[in-house]
Amino acid sequence: MAPLLECRDLRAGHGRVTVVRPIDLAVDAGTVLAVLGPNGAGKTTLLSTIVGLLPRQGGEVLVGGKAVKAGRPDVAGRAGIVLVPDDRALFGALTVQENLRVAARRTAGIDEVMDLFPALRLRRRVAAGSLSGGEQQMLAIARALVQQPRVLLIDEMSMGLAPVIVEDLLPIVRRVADESGAAVVLVEQHVGLALEIADDVVVLVHGEVALRDRAASLRGDHARLEAAYIGGSDLFATTN
Amino acid sequence: MDQHFIFLLLGLANGAVFAALALALVVTYRSSGVVNFATGAMALFTAYTYSFLRQGELLILIPGLPVSEHIGTLSFWPAAALAIAISAGLGLLLYALVFRPLRTAPPVAKAVASIGVMVVLTSLMSQRLGVNPIAVDPILPTNIWTIGNVRVSSDRVWIALVVVAFAFALAAMFRFTPFGLRTRAASENERGAYVSGIRPDRLAAVNWMISAAVGGVAGILIAPIVTLSPLSYTLFIVPALAAAILGRFQYIVPAVLGGLAIGMLQSEVTYLQSQHSWLPSSGLAELVPLVLILAVLVVRAKPLPTRGALIQQTLGRAPRPRRIALTAAVWSVVGAVALAVLQESWRAALVTSLIFAIIALSLVVVTGYAGQVSLAQLTLAGVAGFLLGPLTLSWNVPFPIAPLLAALAAAVVGVVVGLPALRIRGLPVAVVTLALAVALEAIWFRNTDLVPSDGKDIGGPTFLGIDLRARVGTDFPRLPFCLLVLGTLVVVAIGVAKLRTSRLGSEMLAVRANERSAAGSGVHVVRVKLLAFAIGAFIAGLGGALLAYKQGNVTFDSFTILVGLALFATVYLAGITSVSGGVLAGMLAATGIVYLAMQRWLALGDWYATITGVLLVLTVIRNPEGIVGPFHSLLERRSKAQAPPEPAHDGLRAVAPLPERVREPALSVRDVTVRYGVVVSVDHVSFDVPAGAIVGLIGPNGAGKTSLLDALTGFVDSTGSVALAGRLLDGLAPHERVRAGLGRTFQHIEIYDDLSVLENVGVGRTRRGAADLGALLQLVDLVEDAHRPAGELSQGRRQLVSIARALASDPQVLLLDEPAAGLDTTESIWLGERLRDIRDAGTTIVLVDHDMQLVLSLCDEIHVLVFGSLVSSGPPELVKSDPQVASAYLGGTRAEQPTGVA
Repeated sequence: MAPLLECRDLRAGHGRVTVVRPIDLAVDAGTVLAVLGPNGAGKTTLLSTIVGLLPRQGGEVLVGGKAVKAGRPDVAGRAGIVLVPDDRALFGALTVQENLRVAARRTAGIDEVMDLFPALRLRRRVAAGSLSGGEQQMLAIARALVQQPRVLLIDEMSMGLAPVIVEDLLPIVRRVADESGAAVVLVEQHVGLALEIADDVVVLVHGEVALRDRAASLRGDHARLEAAYIGGSDLFATTN
Repeated sequence: MDQHFIFLLLGLANGAVFAALALALVVTYRSSGVVNFATGAMALFTAYTYSFLRQGELLILIPGLPVSEHIGTLSFWPAAALAIAISAGLGLLLYALVFRPLRTAPPVAKAVASIGVMVVLTSLMSQRLGVNPIAVDPILPTNIWTIGNVRVSSDRVWIALVVVAFAFALAAMFRFTPFGLRTRAASENERGAYVSGIRPDRLAAVNWMISAAVGGVAGILIAPIVTLSPLSYTLFIVPALAAAILGRFQYIVPAVLGGLAIGMLQSEVTYLQSQHSWLPSSGLAELVPLVLILAVLVVRAKPLPTRGALIQQTLGRAPRPRRIALTAAVWSVVGAVALAVLQESWRAALVTSLIFAIIALSLVVVTGYAGQVSLAQLTLAGVAGFLLGPLTLSWNVPFPIAPLLAALAAAVVGVVVGLPALRIRGLPVAVVTLALAVALEAIWFRNTDLVPSDGKDIGGPTFLGIDLRARVGTDFPRLPFCLLVLGTLVVVAIGVAKLRTSRLGSEMLAVRANERSAAGSGVHVVRVKLLAFAIGAFIAGLGGALLAYKQGNVTFDSFTILVGLALFATVYLAGITSVSGGVLAGMLAATGIVYLAMQRWLALGDWYATITGVLLVLTVIRNPEGIVGPFHSLLERRSKAQAPPEPAHDGLRAVAPLPERVREPALSVRDVTVRYGVVVSVDHVSFDVPAGAIVGLIGPNGAGKTSLLDALTGFVDSTGSVALAGRLLDGLAPHERVRAGLGRTFQHIEIYDDLSVLENVGVGRTRRGAADLGALLQLVDLVEDAHRPAGELSQGRRQLVSIARALASDPQVLLLDEPAAGLDTTESIWLGERLRDIRDAGTTIVLVDHDMQLVLSLCDEIHVLVFGSLVSSGPPELVKSDPQVASAYLGGTRAEQPTGVA
């Protein structure tokens, strides 16, 4: 079966500057791909390009085998690609309910998504700007889910959140992949947590793939991951 | 008391129009980020359309077609409905053709385009419909209502009620409908809109139709009260802008109430000035919006809420002038020959062009170099022009001194005009200068207390026995005067060209590019802005004085705001960022040489303003550098092809290492805390940086590293204290800290693509820093790129430029925010070597970066920041083995895992 999301020779960057050198990715329906790597490696640029917020510098993006036009967020959205951006990009002055209504494909969808996040249901009349960090992140994910994504891209979900909260959120991402059959791409800096829920892992360093493997085989083998992260230096070597 | 009440009520009608236009401004701005100066002109168009429809004519503005087509007389409702539908169509058309293509442009470019639209609409209407006022039959009931002793016509009250009703209806629509919800969402966060599956451009198109329709309603309703004429309606925009600012360009109801209040206050002060002889006999009404705008923008000093747009294009580049002396000599000869050869009206047109070129050059300085959109430059020229009369005739000041004094006075007024720009930036500067120009024109130029209705006479200039008068008998313009104008232009042009290559010029471009990073490079932003306004006003003043000499008698006609806006349009069109653009603008200016040629040969003189406006809009969309832009690019390519590679500087010397390291820590940080509202971003952080060390600051995203750097350099408010080599920096502004010896770079490299590498680095020099730029470029390995525009460099080299710029102030301590971001491994290693060289040359470095290889290999000491607190400090080996660090970097729970850290 063809992968649900496929990137071929995708090059991404800002203006003249190339950030992500040609990269191939394939994500099957119902699986989670974790994209790891240090800051500045090009992870956010990669996601923004897939969802059409940035123009492509080259290559193809396909959903279900069909090519998606470059640089058009509305076209990518119709193809089923939805991004949860790292800054969450919520509408702070609107209430939780309104944030979801803006994005919902159908009103009933809001209720189903709220089932995943009972905490949000309690605060549906509160302005998004007044939510806690964790609640805001839930809302950002919920706003993506009400669009019924086929491909869900989540950027730095744990940014600014306490690890406890991230531990609660990540299993929901796994559940979404399992139940809706969406292909999920997760950019994450909490490597340990990401490995627990991901099926596959790609490590980007300086815009290039430094490591690509099944998550299962990396769970017990942090040394390889760390080596990829820091370009072969011996950071943390003494701790293993 | 009753009289006051009557006048307040009388003002309701105008107030209602201001309110409706303010409403239209808010709706347009919220949905598309455009401050639409053409709002008044669009309302006028609707009003004309309506009044023609009532007479059975369909108005057609398109040149070449008949002015109108007979379609049979319509009664009120069909005529109004059709006119409003046409107005909405105009709104849609403008958005689709002009403002959608500009959606990623900076707000200033959008506003300039809207000025172009305003010029086009106004001039089309004047051209095709004439300037004679047209009366329209009453629409609303005009009963006389008597309240106590007060009698007032009911239509004033009705129009206000209608507009208020519209405002509440629209506010409710934005509040309660799905369309309104999406509009609010998209205006708050465009990125959020895209990831929510909304198309902001479609919403903007609908909002443009709504705002055009609302403006149209107001235009129709006011038509019976204020007779239709291009000027009055177009200038409704100034009080409407004031009202929109009262609503912060966000809120409909405050904007509408503000509009009503402005109308009533204007009416009241008009009454007052008729009652009290000590008040000026005109201009108080125009002061009302100015005072309100200043009060809101300057005193509260809140910027307009920016819309979270995705990308921003830069303004046009300001190319370096080349071979100034040769160019000046050639054009002086060409100009002198042309003046001598041409006769009468042609010579007059050319000398007019030369004078306007001088005034245009003032815009090159203020807007092109310093980035401050001033719509008051022609008014400033007027200040000098109107002062010249009394200077020459009442006080008998002799020739070269009188115009210079007049220009100096203009410079003083220019600084006053520029003062608000110290607290505001971007578009509000344009709004304030426009309101100031309108007020100055009304209170001085048109005020018959100060200027006789037949104008102010000017004493003719003579110098060393040479009669420099423009006119003697029928001899006009006389050659000596023309040569005086040419000489002045040449001197001004050389000065403006030199300014571009001077240090002050670089600082102006730095301020234009980014005030924050300019301050971070040690540029005194306030001083640079005020100097730009002063220099610009002085130049404008010279032009104004010459214009006055040429006419021999000054009236307000030469300096009206509409002429000023058209001049601004012409300069932007010709190329506002360069001297050649300024001079070309003079040639193209109204009544100038090109204008005369168009009129004589093509019979197009009447269409001059329309053509200028259309070209302006096209220029903004296609080519922000103006007509001369492509020529500069061509010249640049040619000279690059011909010129041999620049030889390396000869006199380069290695930078001597510090003679002796002081024992005292170079930088000492104590209890620094940063709060954003309730969020504590940096929490009581303390550490010392030993002199001559490279100290790393690492931590996961959102840990507060950049906030800490911002606190150290004075960009955010913080508590605690920072000392540089024992000297406390607390309370100092960013540029003062730079001058004290604390340099920094920014996470997103904020270098100036317009400037060459050398100029970029030069911006960073402060009075304290006497760093030798040649040596500096050698230190960072940029000697070969010294004269290339920074925009052409690779990411790695751009990083080095920003580091070199910070080094140019000769800092004791240099703070680097993610210098390795976006570099590949090779570039990152190369960067590390450069940083080591910099340290060896005597600069202490604090390095924030995520590139572990770089940080570990380079730093003598590392501090780890997590959730705003330091969790670990020490040499790399020690920090490496700290479990907390591993957990911060590779996932929060790793430390808790049994297989993880021991």
